[in-house]
Amino acid sequence: MSTFRKHKSIADRSATDRARHKQKIDKALKEGIRDIVAEESIIGQDGKKKIRIPVKGIKEYQFVYGDNSKKVGSAPGKDIHRGQKIAEDSEDKNSGGKPGDKPGEEFYDVEITLEELAQYLFSDLELPDLDKKKFKFLSADTFKRKGFRTKGIRPRLSKKESIKQKIRRKKMAVKVGTFNEEEDERFPFHDADLRYKHFKVKETEISSAAIFFIMDISGSMSTAKKYIARSFFFLLYQFLHHKYDNVEVVFIAHTTEAKEVNEKDFFSLAPSGGTLISPAIDLTLDVIEKRYHPSNWNIYTFHCSDGDNWSEDEEKALKSSQQLKQISQLYAFCEIDPDSESSQWRQTDNSRMYDLYQAIIDKKFKLIRMTSPKEIWPAFKKLFGGRLE
Amino acid sequence: MEWTFEDLQVWDEKIVKHAKSYNLDWYPIDYEVCDYHDMIGYMSYIGMPTHYQHWSYGKSFERTHTMYNLGMEGLPYEMIINSDPSISYLMSENPMPLQILIMAHCVGHSDFFKNNRMFKHTDAPNVISRFRNGAKRIKKYIDNPNIGIDAVEKIIDSCHALKYHNYREFGINRPTHKEVKQKYIDLLNFDSKLVPDSIDINRIPIEPDYDILAFIAEHSRNLEDWQRDIIHIIRDESRYFMPQAMTKIMNEGWASFWHYKIMSELDLPQEFHLAFLKSHNQVLRPTVGQINPYHLGFTIFKWIHENKGLDECFIAREVHNDESFIRTYLNRDICEELNLFSYSKKKKEWTIDDISDEDGWKQIREDLIKNVGLNSMPNIYIKELQKDFTLILEHEHDGRDLDLDYAHNVCEHIIDLWGDEFKLYTVIEDEPFEI
Repeated sequence: MSTFRKHKSIADRSATDRARHKQKIDKALKEGIRDIVAEESIIGQDGKKKIRIPVKGIKEYQFVYGDNSKKVGSAPGKDIHRGQKIAEDSEDKNSGGKPGDKPGEEFYDVEITLEELAQYLFSDLELPDLDKKKFKFLSADTFKRKGFRTKGIRPRLSKKESIKQKIRRKKMAVKVGTFNEEEDERFPFHDADLRYKHFKVKETEISSAAIFFIMDISGSMSTAKKYIARSFFFLLYQFLHHKYDNVEVVFIAHTTEAKEVNEKDFFSLAPSGGTLISPAIDLTLDVIEKRYHPSNWNIYTFHCSDGDNWSEDEEKALKSSQQLKQISQLYAFCEIDPDSESSQWRQTDNSRMYDLYQAIIDKKFKLIRMTSPKEIWPAFKKLFGGRLE
Repeated sequence: MEWTFEDLQVWDEKIVKHAKSYNLDWYPIDYEVCDYHDMIGYMSYIGMPTHYQHWSYGKSFERTHTMYNLGMEGLPYEMIINSDPSISYLMSENPMPLQILIMAHCVGHSDFFKNNRMFKHTDAPNVISRFRNGAKRIKKYIDNPNIGIDAVEKIIDSCHALKYHNYREFGINRPTHKEVKQKYIDLLNFDSKLVPDSIDINRIPIEPDYDILAFIAEHSRNLEDWQRDIIHIIRDESRYFMPQAMTKIMNEGWASFWHYKIMSELDLPQEFHLAFLKSHNQVLRPTVGQINPYHLGFTIFKWIHENKGLDECFIAREVHNDESFIRTYLNRDICEELNLFSYSKKKKEWTIDDISDEDGWKQIREDLIKNVGLNSMPNIYIKELQKDFTLILEHEHDGRDLDLDYAHNVCEHIIDLWGDEFKLYTVIEDEPFEI
């Protein structure tokens, strides 16, 4: 009375739902990364460091009981007694007899390395015009020899090739009898023997970048502000690192004075004192001049500050900044103002420097504002011309 | 394939003959032979060939696929749908003895679907077309440019979070709000003492309403027609599936009981017999620290058969669900045979509370009942719809607290559906708690 038939393999039925599920994971991963960028201290970490990204949003929730519910199971033998410890609650989900009471939880953490994270962030995100717009690689002309020519300038004369031509002509002459070697007659060079080395001009791209991270560490830069700066720098570093073969980073911290520091100090120096912006810019210019000449290096400068500056310095800072702008691929002034304390007494939300800098905005100079960790990612995208979501 | 369709038919005839001799009464079965990939596909959609689409089924597919590849779980030996005729899938990779076992097992399931009282309302002859209809409507909303997949998924996500929150009895015609109100007005007119103080006839609902999705669909002022339609599709679907969750132990026990009985009486060739025993033991292997429903159900039915006769088995399969089945038949002997114990978490350690001895087995039975089927899910009902459209839900606390993380996330789904203010009252660590 039963019937049997072969299943008709029609189209892969769950394909749509699987694709949709994958989209959800990708989206959740991106959002998870955003939180990581805002939360974890990962700048300056080794690229191999693994971070866990909790993937939210693809978990299916229902009302379930918490930890104070009893469970029943069967034991492998009679050898059990009351009060016997059967498992310890640890993060390790594989622990012994404890059944997974929340199904499939371990599914939702994705572990990736920083490098992969950077790949993920920058290869997959919507920054479409980025390469075209911002990554005009610097080029330098190099010369490469390519054969010989019959005409040329004197310094490029190839003696060897010219002699070879003369010998060839001499042999021909002997053969046809117009020249007799034994008569010891001179056989001079002829214009037609002369060969000149030929060079072809070749454009080579220089994919080296020098990144200048300038940060205001004056008294007004609170931990919260530095924290935003740090995360933002991390993104920038990873991104440029992703784009260029060779990236060097210079950290410049400034109060009223500027100094070059190492990465560790950059983020840990205790804030103190007032703010002068121009010394930092001048120091940057100085370092560029000495070590990273713009003809060989793509210069990127990012300056994080809360925008406070002594008014005497404004004009000077602006002038230096313009100069720096000229030699940079990109120069961004990032104003961080998590609590707006310094602008409370002003009418505008913007700092004085921010307003002043408006005047020099162009393709190379950008102004960015961030007031909370959430704005880091949008700010980053804005900076590199990507579409904002 | 080392077997042919003719082989299947030959063995099916033998199985049918034996099953009929015991008065098993099942829907005709349509077997579909499919491969591994199709099998996971069907599993992802709970076997339903006409199920609506949703990303969670893609997730389920990937999960099963991964687990299978990691060797973490074997594919289920059988998959059968409660429909008339029943549809069952046979995986072409399985060897012949296993196919015989599965066919015998399916007869047991189909008999259970057809006769157990919990399934009377499921309208087995029409379920496939009913699902197809729902799937088509949902597809239509997805394809509608004014709605689209994101909006549809959002509603489905929310409904899935709440789909099992409903009355846990079936086949009862529930009175409408109007009828309930009239009942109390009549009672009040007759004798006001008959109406408890907690009843307020001007409140909606007058009595607690457990059918959360239907209530929201009816009373929310923020839903569009297509949204209400989707809510009803999912609510109706889970009414169809709920009895399966509530009879898992019995259903698997019954099917295992019959495959064992029939297989033992078939004249299996020697090598088939050994393979059969091996598969049978695999299916019924107890899971340490957990309950294997096949094992538990089989053991109880075997006990009933040995001690009360086959007729009692047939009565049990008709009138019980897992809860009443365990309450009626699980005794100290069975508990001891299965080495059942209860355990809970104290601080960070899981320790044993009770073992199956004279003092412990009754408590273990109670603890087990709390964990079978939908009893492992909290009972939550609509308490009141206030004048300002604030919806009040209450958790029927039975000593077990809600997991707050999960609860918060479900509440967000409720807010998405309801669209107005909403509150959930529960108890956490013996204190009233509001979410």
